[in-house]
Amino acid sequence: MSPRKSLSAATAAAQNASARSAALNRRQFLRRAAIAGGAFTVPLIVPGRVLGLNGAVPPSEKIVMGGIGIGNRGSDDLRWMLPEPDVIFVADCDPQRSRREAVKRIVDAKYGNTDFKLYSDTREFLATRPDIDAVLSTTGDRLHALMATWAMRAGKDVYSEKPSAMTIAEGQMVVETARRYGRVYQTGTQRLSEANFVFAIELAKSGRLGKVHTAYAHIAPWDAAAMRHDWLAGQPELPKSECDWDQWLGPCPWRPYNAEYCRGGWRGFYDFHTSCIGEWGAHTFAQAQAGLDLLDTSPVAYEYVDNPTGDGMVTHFASGVKMILSRGDKYWHGSCGMRFDGPEGWVSVADGYSRPEVSNPRLLDDFNKIVGDYMARTQRPMSHVRNFFDCIKSRRLTVAHPVVMHRTMSTVHAANICMWLKRDLKYDPVKEEFVNDAEANRLRSRAMRAPYMF
Amino acid sequence: MKTNFALLLALALNAVVLAQNPTPLVTKTPDQLIAVLKSDAGLKEKSDACRELAVVGGKDAVPVLAGLLADEKLSHMARYALETIPDPSVDAALRDALGKLKGRPLVGVIGSIGVRRNAQALDLLVAKLSDDDADVAQAAARTLGRIGTPEAADALMNAAANSDAGNLLAFCEGLGRCVDALAAAGKTDQALTICDHYDDSQLPQQVRVAALRGAILLRGKDGLPLLKESLENPEYVLFAAAIRTSQEMPGADVTKLLADELAALDADHQIVLLSTLSQRADASSLPAIFTKAKNGDKPVRLAAIRALPAFNSPDSVPVLVALMHDPDRDLARAAQESLASLACPEADSAVVKLLGSADTQEQLTGVELVSRRRMTACVPDLLKAAGDADDQVRPAALKTVGELASPDDLPAVLILVQTGKTDEDRDAAAQAASALCAKTDQPTRCVPKIAGLLPSAQPAAKQSLLNILGTIGGPEALTAIRAAVSDDNPQVRATAIRLLGSWKTADAAPALLDLAQNAKDPADKLVSLQSYLQLASDTEIAADQRLAMCRQAAGLVQRVEEKKLLLSVLGGIASPDSLAMITPHLTDAETKDEAAAAVVSVAGKLLKNGADAQTAGKLVEPLQQAGQAAANPDLAKQAQTLLDQAQAKAGAK
Repeated sequence: MSPRKSLSAATAAAQNASARSAALNRRQFLRRAAIAGGAFTVPLIVPGRVLGLNGAVPPSEKIVMGGIGIGNRGSDDLRWMLPEPDVIFVADCDPQRSRREAVKRIVDAKYGNTDFKLYSDTREFLATRPDIDAVLSTTGDRLHALMATWAMRAGKDVYSEKPSAMTIAEGQMVVETARRYGRVYQTGTQRLSEANFVFAIELAKSGRLGKVHTAYAHIAPWDAAAMRHDWLAGQPELPKSECDWDQWLGPCPWRPYNAEYCRGGWRGFYDFHTSCIGEWGAHTFAQAQAGLDLLDTSPVAYEYVDNPTGDGMVTHFASGVKMILSRGDKYWHGSCGMRFDGPEGWVSVADGYSRPEVSNPRLLDDFNKIVGDYMARTQRPMSHVRNFFDCIKSRRLTVAHPVVMHRTMSTVHAANICMWLKRDLKYDPVKEEFVNDAEANRLRSRAMRAPYMF
Repeated sequence: MKTNFALLLALALNAVVLAQNPTPLVTKTPDQLIAVLKSDAGLKEKSDACRELAVVGGKDAVPVLAGLLADEKLSHMARYALETIPDPSVDAALRDALGKLKGRPLVGVIGSIGVRRNAQALDLLVAKLSDDDADVAQAAARTLGRIGTPEAADALMNAAANSDAGNLLAFCEGLGRCVDALAAAGKTDQALTICDHYDDSQLPQQVRVAALRGAILLRGKDGLPLLKESLENPEYVLFAAAIRTSQEMPGADVTKLLADELAALDADHQIVLLSTLSQRADASSLPAIFTKAKNGDKPVRLAAIRALPAFNSPDSVPVLVALMHDPDRDLARAAQESLASLACPEADSAVVKLLGSADTQEQLTGVELVSRRRMTACVPDLLKAAGDADDQVRPAALKTVGELASPDDLPAVLILVQTGKTDEDRDAAAQAASALCAKTDQPTRCVPKIAGLLPSAQPAAKQSLLNILGTIGGPEALTAIRAAVSDDNPQVRATAIRLLGSWKTADAAPALLDLAQNAKDPADKLVSLQSYLQLASDTEIAADQRLAMCRQAAGLVQRVEEKKLLLSVLGGIASPDSLAMITPHLTDAETKDEAAAAVVSVAGKLLKNGADAQTAGKLVEPLQQAGQAAANPDLAKQAQTLLDQAQAKAGAK
């Protein structure tokens, strides 16, 4: 007998008449559910363990993966994941036929068979594949949070590419859903699992630079903070089997089909993209906030800069520490750079470095020790996807778990809103609202298009 | 993973397009926007107006927006504006629309009511829970969850009984939201009732996971029995859910419960438990973890060993030291890795003990750990180990000296350079000494100290000292090395000549040239010439200087091997003058291929660098000759391609 049937006296007394009548109804409900059929019916009787594990994978077993919206970037993630010995990909879902078939070619070639299944409808995919434990979601920005939420509600763990939320409200929903269903979630900020970046972060946290007062975070050198609101010229929609335009748009406002969007030309549009700030800020704000040990909050003030990109924007955390957005290579040479400044030194790193740059070469003497200690202490490997798979099995939080994603993307969104409104903003990270700025607060969410809603 | 280049390029190209039309967030006043909506403007204009009203719209905009809710094409954008307008008339408008709409517009309105948490819509929403349109019923369930009042929760619970099976997850989501809202409002009992209600093996696992989580957490301390039972549940999914939930529960009693479970469960469960205990890092669980580390299945033992660094406990030290002797190499290695990461003095002491061990393997492990842990206080021990009897220990210790010692330790290391028993010892000592010199602000200040040892050093040690000077560089080091080319010992001379050939600047060139011309030993002459040419190939040296060196060398070159070396160097110098030195070799059967390759190399560089017509004209004849001389068809083809370019460029004059 479950202890929940022998609750403490106080709790048992609290079970009111309403609940008792509902309990009877529940049986009826479940019985009907058991005999219901159809593509969208959730299989209720068969435990997940029989068909697959559906999100609960013991250490000795394989993780069954599915894909959602795997395109160019997603294929990189897929190729990164496929060699993992305890992972098997079984299906992909994409509203674009050419993309899903390209994924099938990759996976079939890897496994030497044609077992890989394809889906075009996400809701059908999630509802009919309880054997899938986790999904790799690499849609465009516009769908990341919704796909993650839907997948977690379906019992899947989720690796989501970045930027993983279009608004502050979307991030909140990802956090809430992951927590409610006990799901493992990783946002694709892979530099949090790369030795050079981990070294810089751990060095900043160690006090060896003194008390770090400023972090610098790279924003993308293309696009602007200001966004496009125009529509590309309409073209005849393709058959749904080729490209389901309604699904492609998802929760975003409707606009006429144009093939350019589907080829990656969605970047720069307000409805689809998080600007040059989100493009790399999704990575670098997480990196910077990690080094500042402020991954559970967001800056409290954002200083507007009168330029098109947000370059040089100073953001302030409640502790007085600053994070400055930087577009060029003033502080590093390479992509997704970051830098930490303290009274006793600095460290800087970007992609392509053999080792981070430091104010004193002696700081690098402890490189192996710092990275090695971090890995041993946290049990996090220097592989972002491996960390995800390990956590699927251990059920521990990933290095880029939902709160990390949400708080650092909140920083992205607040910086964007600051640029769009062209004024300084103050933000309360506890209430998650802007202070005395109704317009800014109205930009924390966007109404979602039915039925692509939370 | 690095962003791939193709993607970056595509994005960069996109940027050219995308940068064209960014527009401000708001372009019109609220009145103007309302006027657009009332006009016969097109879909785009009206959509834009709605989007801007979402930021600046007020009560005045509500009626016209509400009027669009039934418009299939504009319903979403009307909600887009309405959702954020902070006026209660919006809620009334949305409620009013509930009774008039169907399909997607209705689903959308229900969602917007949820976003605004309008509890006044409760009865209307309850009615929608049994709607024939599954999307409508599901949206209503989720929205009632967002409202999250006790009444909403009751309504959802009761309506679930009469709902279609396909709506189950939406109802459960709604109830999950209610649980959160009720708990936040202090209505724990009702929240618990919902969670316990969904304790049913026939439900989808994620629903059971959510319900179990709530049932445990909401009970606080009283949830521990349920946590324990769930950890022991034969269904893995509930075990996994319990583990995940336990990670949200602080407290020693939770740790004790988890640790106690270690004894009863199978290997997979134990591994997951150990990882969770590691995350908690509560020292009270260490004895249980030690037990698992010492005995049992190998995967569990590995998990236990790897769990220990997070505790950073001195109590782990003896356990790990003992495990480092385990006959299973994986276990021993894991123990060593874990010990390496413990930041406590007891771990340091254990490592020092290993370093002083009579057992070679222990000593080597000690050296490795000293390095990994960056134990600078162990430098004296390492220096002592550098004099050890074992051939493996000495160089390993010296390598670590180079990593950890300070420049103050240089004299001691230089003694080891002089007294090293084997070449490997001396090389290791020399590398350590070089590393220590590099740690100083001005490494060249170390030169007198090292050079001063040369006269009394044995030949083997002398070579090592010279190698140190070679890594330091500078005029004083060059002088010392230059002097060593007159050493009596041929190996010392060879070392000195080699070092001159790999010198970082052209300063070594005169000495090498002199040796190539005047050395008594023909072997020294030859090596000097080769080293001279090697120096001339250094692209860090100015091209004209390298060309001058080649001219000097050309007079000394006799053997085919050196001719080929000279041609190789000339091929790297992008100058018509180098071509002039190369072309005579095109007619020599033994060097024509190398000469042709050199011509192609020089011509290619000059053309790529934007050679003018006059320079291009100077390339024509050498390239014609190279094309004819080259035995390799690919080379001949390259020569012809470059010839065409050169002729075209020369003709353009």
